[in-house]
Parts: sequence; structure tokens; C-alpha cells
Amino acid sequence: MSDHTEQIKTAENGFEPKILVFACNWCTYAGADLAGLSRLEYPPNVRVLRVPCSCRVNPQFVIRAFQRGIDGVLVAGCHPGDCHYTTGNYYTRRRFLLTKRLLDFVGIDSERFHVRWISGAEGPKFQEVVTDITAAIKAIGPNQKLCDYFPTETLLPNEGGDNQ
Amino acid sequence: MQILEKSKLDDFLQMLAKHQPVIVPTDVDGLSQYAPYQAQMTLLLDGKPTVSPKGIFLPQTEAIYRFKAQGKNLLIAEMENQQTPQVLFFVRHCDVQGIVCLDKVFMSPEYTDQQYAKKREITTIFALRCNGSKESCFCTSMGVDPEKANPAAADVEVYDLGDQFAFEALNERGEKVLSQAAELLSNQDNVILPPVPERKLQLKTEGLPEKLSTTFDAPIWNDFMFKCLGCGTCTYLCPTCHCFDINNKLRGEDGLKLRTWDSCMFDEYTLMAGGHQPRTGKKERIRNRFLHKLQYFYEKHQMFLCVGCGRCLTKCPMNIDISKFVQQVMKEESR
Amino acid sequence: MNQEAIQTKMRQRAKELLNSGAVTMVLGWEAGTFWYQSTPILIRQAEDADKLVWNDFCQNNLSKYLLDFRFTNEKIALFLKGCDSRAFNRLLQDKQIEREKTYIIGIPCEGMKDHRLAQSKNEGDDLPLAKICQSCRYPNPVIYDELLTEEVTPRQKIVDFSDVEAIEQMSADERYEFWQKEHTKCIRCYACRNVCPACNCRKCIFDQATSGWNSKDVNASENQFYAMTRAIHIAGRCIECGQCEYVCPANIPIMLMNKKLIKDIDLLFGDYDAGLSIEGQPPLGHFEKDDPEEFM
Repeated sequence: MSDHTEQIKTAENGFEPKILVFACNWCTYAGADLAGLSRLEYPPNVRVLRVPCSCRVNPQFVIRAFQRGIDGVLVAGCHPGDCHYTTGNYYTRRRFLLTKRLLDFVGIDSERFHVRWISGAEGPKFQEVVTDITAAIKAIGPNQKLCDYFPTETLLPNEGGDNQ
Repeated sequence: MQILEKSKLDDFLQMLAKHQPVIVPTDVDGLSQYAPYQAQMTLLLDGKPTVSPKGIFLPQTEAIYRFKAQGKNLLIAEMENQQTPQVLFFVRHCDVQGIVCLDKVFMSPEYTDQQYAKKREITTIFALRCNGSKESCFCTSMGVDPEKANPAAADVEVYDLGDQFAFEALNERGEKVLSQAAELLSNQDNVILPPVPERKLQLKTEGLPEKLSTTFDAPIWNDFMFKCLGCGTCTYLCPTCHCFDINNKLRGEDGLKLRTWDSCMFDEYTLMAGGHQPRTGKKERIRNRFLHKLQYFYEKHQMFLCVGCGRCLTKCPMNIDISKFVQQVMKEESR
Repeated sequence: MNQEAIQTKMRQRAKELLNSGAVTMVLGWEAGTFWYQSTPILIRQAEDADKLVWNDFCQNNLSKYLLDFRFTNEKIALFLKGCDSRAFNRLLQDKQIEREKTYIIGIPCEGMKDHRLAQSKNEGDDLPLAKICQSCRYPNPVIYDELLTEEVTPRQKIVDFSDVEAIEQMSADERYEFWQKEHTKCIRCYACRNVCPACNCRKCIFDQATSGWNSKDVNASENQFYAMTRAIHIAGRCIECGQCEYVCPANIPIMLMNKKLIKDIDLLFGDYDAGLSIEGQPPLGHFEKDDPEEFM
């Protein structure tokens, strides 16, 4: 990956969480863009994954993220009533009210999974939300739960030379 | 024969565990299975565990090799096989026979599966003779000797004498393991062995494969196949079912090639790339499973691929019963 | 009415229906291999009706078999207990089956016995009711064409969530450890999915190896992925028949997770019991504008 990732790896205080943001194309994605345009600084720990609607996010996406070593997940979409597809986020709301409780029930720390409504105009809110989540997850440490470990002893050394 | 007081069983196992890992039948979180021995563990000595010992030799998930793909470069490396010996304790004769069946498949003269063979090589098997019979036991009908475990797989035969265990080494490997705890064992000749009880389920299986060879299109398959759920309970608990699938586990450039159990009862099992399904329904799948166990394997190896352990009889959620099927086939005129 | 009288009546009705040509097949239960087992049977000939049984172990939910007969035009009679009838309604609500092609003979159910415990007992021994039946609130069929006997009194009026609450009381790490242990036992035979009347997708995501969602790699992580995904997929459609737990060869408390979701649905979106009627929408199939709001 880019220098961006390198920067995270070499941060001085050790643990830098990986946070996955499922961002609705019509609001949060624009909000994040606005944050960038407005030169609002937010932690580089987030990876933004654009989805057509927050309703596109299936609960299994979230579980899979934890399996693959993500430390925290944020699902972000349009405020109720503002959905580009009229009603998508209402379904999101029901679904994730339940998913959040299920994750909690199987022992995933509730700090690790969040849902927020962030509109395209709310660049500062995006900044605030990801900053808060990053700080909270930094405090509780890396996620050890649900991880599908890839045994590191099976990793092969890199071949020298340039790769295509 | 060498005698061990039952009260000393824990000491005995601990002594063996000093030399190599010992695997015993026990209850783990509510599921009986073979698991590594730990001191003061409660062993399952009445009956057999729900999960058969086949997983010791053919694990449900096993990495075959690892690889790295960087651009056009591909690196492949074999997995490190377990080298240290281990002892597998208290395997009932039916399950011993199950291991012999697996040997036929994975260590055939034409091809030897290295990972399977390695695990067989390092494992010393202690067979345990049954003094009783569960209602679902029909091993004797399937060619299992209740008196003697199949020496092709068993290394030591264990007899339950009530307050004592009697050990009889069947080969050098067995003797070697027994000698590790020699101070707890006393030699005794003329041990009076308890009688072997009749198995509760007795099936007539003489001429069964021949009879089955004419039943492929018989109506018998329709009779009770509708109830199958298409789950993998029977195949996964069976001590002889050995179908596997090859999968990749990928993380970026790195990957593992996995061998995992598969079940012929799954719809996906015979599904082809273009979407064609040659085994269209439950009936075809059950027919394949039963005929593989009772006819095809017999024709090739002169032994049944069913060892009469009765796990599928009691665990099938819908009670699809291979013993009833055999009885029905033997009763009916070949159609 | 005692079991034997019900059984006699079952056989008689099956015969009558088959003889009159009202139906072409009857789905019921017959005696299993051992005394603590009953097994589904499909009857086409009136003379086979005497194989039908009604005893303490007729657990199997026959509604789901109707999916296998979706594409026949034959009329099927089937026996349904209270829980099975809720499954029937669910399938009807999902438009998986047709009401006109079925004839339902309802059996008010006194509860089934614990078949796992029975395996270590002798025939005739006293046995407790199966765990799921102890908390049964709907022993009487909610949809039927005829009832075999008079209705029975429900054993419970409200759902007993004490087992769910016990888990909720634990710390997050304890909860994780609990489920980790349970799901490590899972052998991924998919019996729980296959038996579940709420699972009626034409193609399950766990049957699509090429989709990359499932891996045949059996480990705690993948097993938990399976269990959680399955639970959330049937949220709002679980009819508490407990078939998943009944068929699980590894004794995993699957209903615990289902009940947790039922509890939360009740709290968040109002009391809802799936399969009581075919009116309305399942909780995750619709929304209200004034649903609880936690995500501002």
C-alpha cells in the first residue's frame, strides 16, 4: 500500500488501529470529501469504503471485517428522511440496532462498532466522529476477537527484485 | 498380557504423556471426542465418542502447502509435518476398522497420501474391546471382529477386566509404548477375558453387494429418502467417510492450500462449474452414499465402508437408518 | 385425549383423506429405529396409514418438507403441532408454499420429551420435557383445517429470557469465551440451517463457495461467522421451534442466540411473534419512521 500505510505502521506510540468506514456514496462519502477539502485533519487510521447506500451494508460485512483484523467499524449514512433512495437508511437503522446488540452479545466490545448519520455537508462531523472512534479504539487496544488468523509461520519471505 | 489396576489409569496415562502427546476419548464442552490428555481428565470409557477418531489422521481442515504469489513469481513450500509420535487411546474395534478403511484409500499401492501416511506412522493406536453393546451397534454384521481389533491398524489391544485393564501388544510399536510405563504393569498369563456380548443389532449382509448391484433403479430408494435434510451430520461423524475438498486461504500475496472435509450430502458437492448438477436430488445423494459404503467399496477392497458404529443411526436428525436399509434390501427380492 | 387415542385418530383421518381422494399424500411421523426417535414418513397408500405414530418424540417439523413439493400440483395433508403451524405461516408469508395445496390437521401438543436425555435412559423412564417445549407459548396450531383434539393450555404465557439474561450479565470477555467454546465444537454440517423453516433462500450464501463468503476452513472464527450470519439472517423470522438445537450433533445452544434477537426485536420494535398470522411484515422487512434512534 501507499506511504500512508507506512506512516501508520511507524507511529511512535505503538498501536495504530485499523478502522473501516462504510460510507454512503450520497452523504458520508461527500462529507469525508468535504472534510478533506476544508483541510480538516482526521486520523489516518480510517479506510473509507464507498457503498451505494448504508442499507447496502450487510451485517456479515462487519463480521468479516473483524475476521480479517479490522479493529473498529463505522457504518455511516444519510440522516433519516434524507436517503437518496427514500427509505434505505430506515432499514439500515433497524438492521444495525439489532446487529450492534448481537455483536455485543457474542462479546465484541461495543466501542468497536458504530453507526452514524453524516450528511454531505457535515465535514466537521465526519472529522469529529472518526477522531473520537479512533481515540476510543486506541484506548481499548487491538481487536483479538473473531480474528481468522493466518498463521504467520507459514508466510514465505519476499522474493527480491521488482514485482509486476 | 500386562495388567494395570484401573485406579492407576491416570498415573499410567501421565507417564505416557511424558514421552509423547496422548489422545483420549473425553467430553469437551458437551461434545464427546478425542482430545489431548490432561491430568485428572474424565475419560469416556462407556461407548464411543460422538466424533470419530478419523480427524486425528484426516483433520477437518489441514494445510497442504503454502505459497506466495508476487507478480509473476510463485513460491511454494511444503508444510512442516508433525514429526513427534503420539498415542491414540481407547479406540473401539469399529473405529479401528474405520482407520483400516481410510488406509485403503490414502495408502493404496497406487498412491500414498504423504500427510495421512505420516500421521499413521507416528500414531500408536490402543484399541479397546467392547464388553457391552449399545442398541445401535452392528459392527459384527459389517465384518468387524468383536474379539480382536483389526491388527492392520491397532497396535495394542486393551481388555476391560472390571477392576483392571489388560494390555496386549500386537506389534513392536505397541510394546515400545507399553514399556514406557512398565513399572505400573504386571505380567500375567492366562487372563480370563470377559465374554463378548452379542451385538444388539444383527443384520444379514451375506451377498449384500451383489444384491445392491441390481438396485440402482429400484423403488426402494424412494421409500424413505424424502426425509433427508441434506446436512452433513452423517458424513462428518462417520469414521470412514473421507471425501475432501481443496480450498485456498488467501491473505494478500500469501496463501495456504487447505484440504477440508466435504460431504456428498451437500448440494454443492457435485455441482459443476457451469451450474450442471449431475446428482440432482436427495435420492441420488443418499443412493450414492449407501452404495459407496455397501457396494462400490466392497467391490474394490472386499470390505464394507460401513463399520456398524451406529453414529449415523442415532445422530441423523431425521433418523435415516442404514441398518434398516440393509434389512429391507436383504428382505426384498432383487428388483 | 391421550396419545394413543390421538394416534388412532391420526391413522383414521389419514385413511379417510387418502381414500376419499381429497389428498394424494399425507405427511406424518412413524416410529424410528429406537424408542426415543420418530421419523417423518410420506404416505401415499391408505393401507400404510397404520405406520403413523404420535408419541413423545415427534419433534420433526413437517412444514419445511412442503418446500420439496413446491412444484407438484398434488394436494398434501400434514400433521402440525403448534410450533410447526407457525412455521407453516412463515412459509406462507414468504410465498414459498400455497395454502390451497395443503390440508392441515392440527395437533394440540402437550410437549415433546428430551430425546438426548432419553438416550441414556430406558424405555418407560420418567423424562422431562424437551427444553424448548418447557417454554412453549403456542402449543395449539395457529392455522389448521381441522383439529384432532381439544386445545391444550399453554405452558407459558411470556417468553422466558432468563438464559439470555444470564449471558448478558457476563462481561464481554466472558461472553466471547462462552461462544468461542460453543462454536469451536461446530462441525459445520449445516443441519441447523437445513432444518430451519426460516431458511428458505433458493441459494444460501454458505452454499456458494465461489462467492468467497464461506470457507470450508473449519475454525472458531469461520464457525462464528457462520453462526452469527445465520442468526441475523433469520432475525424476525425465527418461530422458536428449536429444531436447530434439536438437530445439532454438537449440542450447541443455537436457540440462545435466536432468543437474544427475539428479545431485542421485542424491545426495539414492539412485541412480535413470527408466524402467528400471515398479516403484516416481519420486523426486518419494514420500518417505522419513529423507530428508536441511537445513531445521531
